[in-house]
Amino acid sequence: MAGVRLEHVYKRYPGSDVASVKDFNLDIKDKEFLVLVGPSGCGKSTTLRMIAGLEEITEGKLYIGDRLVNDVAPKDRDIAMVFQSYALYPHMNVYQNMAFGLKLRKFKKSEIDKRVREAAKILDIEHLLDRKPKALSGGQRQRVALGRAIVREPQVFLMDEPLSNLDAKLRTQMRAEISKLAKRLETTVIYVTHDQIEAMTMGDRIVVMKDGVIQQADSPEVLYNHPINMFVAGFIGSPAMNFIKGGLYERDGAVHFKAEGLDIELTEGKASIVREKGYVNKEVILGVRPEDFHDEPVFLEASPKSIVSALAEVVENLGHEKNVYLAGLGSDTVIARLDGRSDVKEGANIKLAVDMNKIHLFDPETELNIFEN
Amino acid sequence: MELSWRSKLETLLGAPIVTESRAPGEADAWRGIMDEPESAVRPGYRFRLPDGKIRLIVCADGEKVEYVDLQPGELTGREEALLEWLLAELERSGRTDEGSRRRPDRELRRLGEWIQEQIGAGRLKAAVPDELNAGGRLGSEWVPFLLMADHTAKANDAELEKLLQAYLETDVLLVPIRDQEWLILAPDTLLQEEGGGEETPEELLEGIARGMHDMLASEWLGESHIAVAHPIEPASAIVETVSLLRETVALGRRFHQGDTVHVPWNIHLERLLHSIPEEQRIRFIEQAVNRSDLLLEPEIVTTLETYFAMNCNVSDTAKKLYIHRNTLLYRLDKLKQDTGLDVRLFRDAVLVKLLLLLYKVTKRR
Repeated sequence: MAGVRLEHVYKRYPGSDVASVKDFNLDIKDKEFLVLVGPSGCGKSTTLRMIAGLEEITEGKLYIGDRLVNDVAPKDRDIAMVFQSYALYPHMNVYQNMAFGLKLRKFKKSEIDKRVREAAKILDIEHLLDRKPKALSGGQRQRVALGRAIVREPQVFLMDEPLSNLDAKLRTQMRAEISKLAKRLETTVIYVTHDQIEAMTMGDRIVVMKDGVIQQADSPEVLYNHPINMFVAGFIGSPAMNFIKGGLYERDGAVHFKAEGLDIELTEGKASIVREKGYVNKEVILGVRPEDFHDEPVFLEASPKSIVSALAEVVENLGHEKNVYLAGLGSDTVIARLDGRSDVKEGANIKLAVDMNKIHLFDPETELNIFEN
Repeated sequence: MELSWRSKLETLLGAPIVTESRAPGEADAWRGIMDEPESAVRPGYRFRLPDGKIRLIVCADGEKVEYVDLQPGELTGREEALLEWLLAELERSGRTDEGSRRRPDRELRRLGEWIQEQIGAGRLKAAVPDELNAGGRLGSEWVPFLLMADHTAKANDAELEKLLQAYLETDVLLVPIRDQEWLILAPDTLLQEEGGGEETPEELLEGIARGMHDMLASEWLGESHIAVAHPIEPASAIVETVSLLRETVALGRRFHQGDTVHVPWNIHLERLLHSIPEEQRIRFIEQAVNRSDLLLEPEIVTTLETYFAMNCNVSDTAKKLYIHRNTLLYRLDKLKQDTGLDVRLFRDAVLVKLLLLLYKVTKRR
């Protein structure tokens, strides 16, 4: 088993001045489940393909274990790929699909049989070994693709949006299965997705990318609670973080955030940071996650200095929670996530308390989180 | 009739070559009569049997072993050593596998050069001369694949041929045409499915090509582009087919960036648009839409391409793009406002689809 290390890696396509991947530095530990996440075109798949050997590295170094592999062919990197557009070999049955790579490498038949049956057992597809791919469902084909990778016992698994062709229910199920599988196999996994829920639920560590550049690389908890900039803050979390433009001012020894429809007082800890960084009487952007709005009486009573009033334009009742679309706070719609037992009604003016310990403030020019930089 | 090298070996040694399948567990039977581990079973290896005979391994892979048993003293020590060396060399050059009837590389290379010459001269209907007809085999039906390697690593034809034969589980003809470009001819029995099939021949061919692409990506040197066509009789159609497959890859790379497997029956519209002169394309774009620059914005292009891929279904498109349904409708409304084109109407959808394709091949003023 091995870690993967990328040192100052760049990818530029011929004829293009712009690099698709810029100065990518990352040290992936052995057995780590690392997720590369970001919007379409951010460079995450390109990065994975460079690790796989399917794209040449324009500049920089790539190590798998201690081996420099920039010029090593994919078949010799001891990796296994499960890509979005994976294609099972249609003329072979499941057993043959899984055995193929080992057969090429002249493994003994007994060893091939052992590995295939073990992998099939782990993936619960033993009963499918005689079937051809066309006789399999989407989820079953996905498992066979995983099985093809598992039997190789690689140092690193590379997965590029392997669940994107599955329906939502199956995707949720397979997510959990892949996570369990990774723990069981104790292998390094590098997983690409543009679904931040997938990233948050599966990764030991998440790398958020935008325009070819790493925005932040950390555990899901840190990314969620301490996003380094507006892009990370808005990308991670669903519904997304609310951003409200406004300004900071000082009154009666306390720092307030003021915008259209709200005037809330910062905690003393956060106030001292903004004072120190010179943001009082400056414009800033407030970031509040939907779940950090509260309508419970106990919260409203305990937070008199952070109460806001807004019109509940739309209420989406999801059963265990309600997503409330609010008007009157800043210039854009704000979403609050309230408990399913809340009696909020559409069209009603409601009072909500903001959890001021959880708010973020961003510099409007640099978009950096004032509290994290 | 030329004897195969196996027949010659049997004649020289005066003993038949025996083939045995190796099932799991049989390895133990060999271990009982050999001093060395089973992994030593390789072409050229020889050992003494309990009855005194000498067993000489001719060929060995994961599934079968071929050997010949000789009487002790039948061969001198030097002859045995020579045989061992010869069989090992044959195995290294890939000539011991019964399934691999290797054609002279020179002949296929000349065929590839000839094909390239005919395409260059515009002689697409040229018939293959007898001396390049691979022993008359090009007169039967074969499935043609065109493989274009995208990597810079130098490929070994013998290694590639072995991989393809292993994947397709049949003999193939590998014709090198240009640097990093090969024509692969596989028997049309590929399209015969056991127990009848529900797939169309096109689906089957595309599936095999996609599997081939994946296999080569992980087992060969890296990325490649593959095109496949319906079965042909190469003797009369090989030049035209290679030209068609090349065009298919070129159009696929131009119009569908990111795709690596291309089929000619999916790009009729692209082929038509590509044939329209540049001036006419530019004029069409300028006349068809108010704000042609809008259709260059990445967000709107992604939105529209996804919308068409989802058969103009708004809900499915929104799901695919991970945006709210209302956000998608807003974008489509904005497009209508700015360009006058409402893609929810069939006529406008067709126009926008054509425009999106044209943008990929037209320099704009």
